[in-house]
Amino acid sequence: MSKIDRRNLLRAGLGAGGLMLSSNLSSSWAQQNDPIQIGLIIPLTGATSQFGATMGQAAKIAETEINSAGGVRGRPIQIVIEDDQSNPEAAVRAAHKLIDVDKVVAIGGSYASAVTSAIAPLCWEGRTVLFTSSGADSITKLPHQGYIFRTSPTVTLQGTRVGDFAVKLGAKKMFFLGPQTPFAQSYIDIISSIFKAAGGSGSGLIYEDKKASYRSEVDQALKESPDVIVLGGYVPDTSVVLKDLYRAGFSGKKVGFSFGINDALTKAVPAEASNGAYSLVPSASENSEAYKHLVEKMKLSHLDSYSCQVYDHVVLASLALAHAPSGKVDGTAVRDNVRAISQDSEGKRTDDVVDALKLAASGAHVNYDGPSGALEFADNGDVKGVFFRYEQVEEGKLVVRKVG
Amino acid sequence: MLTDVLQYLVNGLIVGALIALPALGLTLIFSVLGFVNFSIAAQLTAGAYAGWLANTLLHLPLIAVLICSFVVAGALGVVTDRIALAPIRRKSTSQTPLMVAIASIALNMALENAYRFYFGSGLNSFDMPIARDMKIGAVRIGRQQLHNLEIAIGLAVLLALFFSLTRIGKAMRAVADNVDLARLKGIEPVRLANLATFIGMGLAGIGGALLAIDTSVDPSTGSRLILLIFAGSVVGGLTSLPGAVVGALSMGMIGELGLLVLPPVYQSLTAFVAILVTLLARPGGIFSGATGVRR
Repeated sequence: MSKIDRRNLLRAGLGAGGLMLSSNLSSSWAQQNDPIQIGLIIPLTGATSQFGATMGQAAKIAETEINSAGGVRGRPIQIVIEDDQSNPEAAVRAAHKLIDVDKVVAIGGSYASAVTSAIAPLCWEGRTVLFTSSGADSITKLPHQGYIFRTSPTVTLQGTRVGDFAVKLGAKKMFFLGPQTPFAQSYIDIISSIFKAAGGSGSGLIYEDKKASYRSEVDQALKESPDVIVLGGYVPDTSVVLKDLYRAGFSGKKVGFSFGINDALTKAVPAEASNGAYSLVPSASENSEAYKHLVEKMKLSHLDSYSCQVYDHVVLASLALAHAPSGKVDGTAVRDNVRAISQDSEGKRTDDVVDALKLAASGAHVNYDGPSGALEFADNGDVKGVFFRYEQVEEGKLVVRKVG
Repeated sequence: MLTDVLQYLVNGLIVGALIALPALGLTLIFSVLGFVNFSIAAQLTAGAYAGWLANTLLHLPLIAVLICSFVVAGALGVVTDRIALAPIRRKSTSQTPLMVAIASIALNMALENAYRFYFGSGLNSFDMPIARDMKIGAVRIGRQQLHNLEIAIGLAVLLALFFSLTRIGKAMRAVADNVDLARLKGIEPVRLANLATFIGMGLAGIGGALLAIDTSVDPSTGSRLILLIFAGSVVGGLTSLPGAVVGALSMGMIGELGLLVLPPVYQSLTAFVAILVTLLARPGGIFSGATGVRR
């Protein structure tokens, strides 16, 4: 202690002060010029990865469009993509990195319900908005302080639609086969109760995914002699279950969801095993200009609803910041302004990002409708007014049967 | 009830037959090289992809497809072993087997991601018709799966003949028993190591192709099953070839029979409790001390 005299202390203090000042300066500089980071946690690998690649591409298109229109508050936006590996653990690591290191204002994508449930607390604790395309009802029941926005229909809604549809097909005995997910039991309960109300009966079985064969599970299901089997799994397990159902000679109806019965599945399963299976597909806003524009930019003939949603995640975060009266660029500003730019009844309706950005920046009222839909959110963060399509596999290809 | 038990036993045999070949491969490599090569999962996937390409691009029949899978998985196994694992084995210490095993997990991940890069994450199906099951009494049996079981058992018998009748097979057993003594007798362990890796990985490749014919192939096909394969091999004693087959078949059967009493979500639990019980009762595996690669 005796070695520290007044003069040295003064020098040290000045030095430290100078350092603090310079770091302050550099951070404010950074805020003015550096890109605004928007995170994306999407499944590029693993069981839920069928839409991962197009989700990433759609987000990149939103990034390019917003940046070529001048960015948000004079700053470009930058998408930081992390792979959740269809695994909640990997997703938590990715979320920590995005929130703590990249300092993102919002995280989009977030597809599997298990993944979303795992990263949601990190998001609201870190005051970062989470835009999710997952279905489990439990997600928006979490104490998320408004930081969660869901652009996908909930499990209850999807389960109800599947149940009603199966009843309309004339089925009386329903059996649900699906892997362990946060929503499997709710599906069994919801669909069974619909069947009971219609004078039929329903039950189900939750299996372990990652199996090479589901023969015994199929045997258990067939013991109930159901006339419709609801398939609640993702593509890898659903493809095996469908084959095993075919081998077992099941001739009843098969109804599934778009995350299990989709183009990836019809390519993976011989036509004789998948033929006749119905799929409930949350529909993108396919007649909108926004959808047509996005599909054209992606050089595709058709785009799934989930990739459209991820495009909208990026746009919603950007528009909210552009509109924020406080001028702040953080997660709370995103949270407080999403509804102002997506569902302002007095706002000018537009489905063009560039238009919407100009309006938002000029302080005018704007109501953005994206390729995924009208994007109006209830108080708990769930999206309202979702369209569904019913598709059926015919000769190994999905054909639209009904839009409703 | 009895038909249920019979049906689940048959289903279990079918699952077990699928993992028996890779379990044989794992056991063979462990016996001769002395470490658990977890990259066998990636070779299983390699065999599945090779078979899929042979089937969908070249339209080869089943036997030719399986030979393709064997050769590709075996060759890839030897090349990757030489590049990634052999250098670690050269300076042998007491920790080496564990280090090589960990390195093989890393190798497995690298290969899996390489497949993902080339083939994408999608599921790929063989261009083979899918057959309805036959019924024997009240029990359903799949024709494809029955073939798999026959092929697995046939290969195990061939392998047993190879080890007991041929010079090179006996030499392998000698290396497995005692490397130094074998070298004194003029046996070159490195060459045998390559051959053991080739055959072991080739078997895994055939297993992968059969599995993929039954289901489909994607980059994680092998990784999804590696624990079950490893478990089958451990229950069989890790160094006994008949043990690997019996171990794999019993892992399959115990898992399926567990469904009689437990909900399907807990299925892997029954299999792993079975490992614990087996190893508590017989720490060396069911076939410890029995004839195998290592006597």
